[in-house]
Amino acid sequence: MSHELENIKDSVMSKIHEDKIKMKPKLYFILGSILTFLGLVGSIVMSTFLFSLIRFSVRAHGPMGEYKLNELISNFPWWTSLFAILFLALGIWLIHKYEFSYKRNYLHIIIVFILAIIIAGWIIDTVGVNDKLSRRGPIQGMMRGYMKNGGVQINSLPRLP
Amino acid sequence: MYYILTNNKTMTDTKKLTDEDLIEEVRLNDKEVFAIVIERYEDKLLRYAKHLVTDEHKAVDIVQESFIKAYINLNSFSTTKKFSSWIYRIVHNQAMNVVKKYNKETPLLDNIDYKSDENIEKEFEQKETIDKVRSCLNQIPIIYSEPLNLFYVEEKSYEEISDILQIPIGTVATRISRAKIIMKKICLTN
Repeated sequence: MSHELENIKDSVMSKIHEDKIKMKPKLYFILGSILTFLGLVGSIVMSTFLFSLIRFSVRAHGPMGEYKLNELISNFPWWTSLFAILFLALGIWLIHKYEFSYKRNYLHIIIVFILAIIIAGWIIDTVGVNDKLSRRGPIQGMMRGYMKNGGVQINSLPRLP
Repeated sequence: MYYILTNNKTMTDTKKLTDEDLIEEVRLNDKEVFAIVIERYEDKLLRYAKHLVTDEHKAVDIVQESFIKAYINLNSFSTTKKFSSWIYRIVHNQAMNVVKKYNKETPLLDNIDYKSDENIEKEFEQKETIDKVRSCLNQIPIIYSEPLNLFYVEEKSYEEISDILQIPIGTVATRISRAKIIMKKICLTN
């Protein structure tokens, strides 16, 4: 064994002995996986919801769809998207930090991701989940506003005396 | 299968364990076992790193840094996978950082004897000069020379190369095949 090779082993082991380098706990990696998973799920749910909501809005309001889309965008719960992006970014950052070894086919992941969003969005819209959401759920006010007022938000109308 | 080591077990027993068992041992019981892991891989990894960066001192730094990274992130390693591919991947990443830093796209190769079962080997043997082979290899872009090196020098399978370089197996085969063709052309024109 060459002198340099002996140095590699000695150098690494001395760092371990002196606690200059420490193994990251399993929790760190578990947390990374959970955040990534949450980020992915959050992104898919939000993207799917956005996709189906746009379809719903355009279909419901016909030629005035463009105006309604603006209303939709201004009333969309963007904070949820921010959470999804934050989780995703954090998860990917953690994965980059530690999972530098396992093969990932990013092209396949992106394709599956986009397909999942489109298919899920189409299914949600087709089976009428949006209609159910208009009756209950966190976005009922926004959706009912569109339906009852021919595309004009209830909240955006001035109150009558 | 993972074997729990007892205090009575000697280092000789430990050395009989698979890489994955050793890693489990390091993680759960004995950090000292990591020295055996280093011993097992340092020669191979240094040769591999030298192929990528050409500079022996940089190669030593890369291997050392790779072992440190491997140790720090040992809990992220899945023992259901091959440790060999994992540690080679780390060295690859480290080396690529160095290559990018020093902008070396076509590395030189030292002390490498290529083994080949193809016709190209016969042509090399007929020329009977390893210098000429090196000269040919020097001119091959790293994306082709690296899988060639992993396959013939490091004796990795296509699947392992695929894991190390994070490219599909089909791409590995294509790159190795192209590397041979490029080498052949370069050697014939020189």
